[in-house]
Amino acid sequence: MSATPSLSVRSLKVHYKLRSGFFNFKATATLKAVDDVSFDLYPGEVLGLVGESGCGKSSLGRALLRLQEPTSGNIQLGGLDFLSLHGEALRNVRPQIQMIFQDPYASLDPRMTIEATLREPLEAHGLWSGIDSQKNLEQLLDRVGIGKKALAKYPHEFSGGQRQRIAIARALVLRPKVIIADEPVSSLDVSVQAQILNLLKEIQKELHLSIVFISHNLAVVKYIADRIAVMYLGKIVELAPKDHLYSQPQHPYTQALISAVPIPDPRIEKFRKRIELRGEIPSPINPPKGCAFHTRCPIAQESCKQHAPELKNYRNSSQQFSCFEVK
Amino acid sequence: MAILEIKNLKAHFHTRRGVVKAVNGISYSIEPGQTLGIVGESGSGKSVSQLSYLKLLPSPPLKIPEGEVLFHGENILAMPEERLRTIRGNKISMIFQEPMTSLNPYLTIGSQLIEPLIIHLKKSKRDAWKEACAALSRVGIAEPEKAMKSYPHEFSGGMRQRVMIAMALTTRPEILIADEPTTALDVTVQAQILDLLREIQKETQMAIILITHDLGVIAGLADKMVVMYAGRIFEEGPVEKIFHQSEHPYTRALLRSTPRVDVLQDKIPVIGGSIPDLSQVGQGCPFYERCEFRTDICQSTFPTSRKIAHNHETFCHVEKFQ
Repeated sequence: MSATPSLSVRSLKVHYKLRSGFFNFKATATLKAVDDVSFDLYPGEVLGLVGESGCGKSSLGRALLRLQEPTSGNIQLGGLDFLSLHGEALRNVRPQIQMIFQDPYASLDPRMTIEATLREPLEAHGLWSGIDSQKNLEQLLDRVGIGKKALAKYPHEFSGGQRQRIAIARALVLRPKVIIADEPVSSLDVSVQAQILNLLKEIQKELHLSIVFISHNLAVVKYIADRIAVMYLGKIVELAPKDHLYSQPQHPYTQALISAVPIPDPRIEKFRKRIELRGEIPSPINPPKGCAFHTRCPIAQESCKQHAPELKNYRNSSQQFSCFEVK
Repeated sequence: MAILEIKNLKAHFHTRRGVVKAVNGISYSIEPGQTLGIVGESGSGKSVSQLSYLKLLPSPPLKIPEGEVLFHGENILAMPEERLRTIRGNKISMIFQEPMTSLNPYLTIGSQLIEPLIIHLKKSKRDAWKEACAALSRVGIAEPEKAMKSYPHEFSGGMRQRVMIAMALTTRPEILIADEPTTALDVTVQAQILDLLREIQKETQMAIILITHDLGVIAGLADKMVVMYAGRIFEEGPVEKIFHQSEHPYTRALLRSTPRVDVLQDKIPVIGGSIPDLSQVGQGCPFYERCEFRTDICQSTFPTSRKIAHNHETFCHVEKFQ
């Protein structure tokens, strides 16, 4: 891809200082939620961000929106140095990057009508222009499959799937270039989940949006994403176009993760060989030295305990992974 | 010979907004050593169908207006509470989705593990302690003695679920009801827990009733399954048959709309609409509004069982819908 990235992230770190003590809050440890993450997101591309709980995928998403200030690193948003912006300048750029959250019950204000919810971002940015804007809102609600009758209603009058449609409309109101979607279908039932995934996919194509799609569900990500980054303990361990990632995963963690996802077909599922991982993800407060995965890795060597591997390209392809042992 | 037989069970909640028919006349049976998968979306009644007859739900609002649940031929619903207490948590054990909320945070793992042994099997404290340790090491906990003295918060989610399984198994139950046992866990840990259940079942020949919304988990573990929707059973049969020769429009649509990790899908076919309000469903098929093959009769009457093959039944008026 030759175009300029919509979002370009370099060496991003999000470290939380953990404090203990009642009167003197001393910083006693550091939790490295996101540790040196770099990637590019191109116009019209969906980048999937997958990993198990505690891998830092949500922290990364929040840092991209500056809902959580990154500790260090660099984010270029549409050619602007996003992290250097403050006050007025930051506010002017914010419409370009919007978000959709997991729980549509918590992310919509129960006391605001749908109209107020959708108007608020426009008014906050001085973009509300009366009748024209009103027309746009109606069109937008039609587009997400809710209909303009919803404008006068409150969130509790809608089901989970419908609320997520409204949350999508709210994210689109400011005509963003980039959307960060954090587990947007995880709280929905299968039959509703498919509707929302298809809607997101259609709208993404129509508007040529760039989306960072965060999920723990590898099947969902396979459906919606173009490229996928696999995270483990704050780091990206593999980054590849989706057809490569699922057909020829290189990193032992990616391989194990994919093999652990149950397949809804008894003929396959009952006879599948899994790559079994011992134990669970270690704490990000004291991550293992060297390669963070070495404690669970089936092919780890002595050297993996000492040195941390960097992302490298697989056979000159665009597939990147970080492992010493896989050549 | 069936170990548990459910016949026309109904479980209704009487609320201010009306009667919510959470379970609306379901029947199935399970044999020793068998795993029965119950699959359904939220509100389908898959959990309530189990919790109701074990009297684990407050009544009122719950009422069971009809039905029989036969455990070794004896109707659980007609049993006095004392008799039920000798079965529940003993011959029929349960594990739940969220192992943190089902363990008592104030008590050590050990004191919670020995309780069923002392109460149900009348063991001495010392014997119970020994057996509990053995149970912990059976489920793959490395230092059982140390674990016995720990509190639940000292364990990760996967370890807590192992403790729950150990606890459920100490009394050597004949039936284990696993209600979304791996939903709160990461996939790599889920794989470990499912393997553990599989192994233990092989050893003990207990029956497992596996409640889940995850079709992949059912595909890997269950022998036969029922598909539930809005308090009704839509289809019942061997797992292989349901996945590959389903005779119900909902089952088929559900299978098609599930994203898969092994297939590259360009577009997932969806089921339009959403799950109906359970206080509003009438006598007809609750899938009527969303079904593309619906006929007039579907709106007024729920179909009776139609036999497709040995052990395979569907509840649909429409015979040819492909």
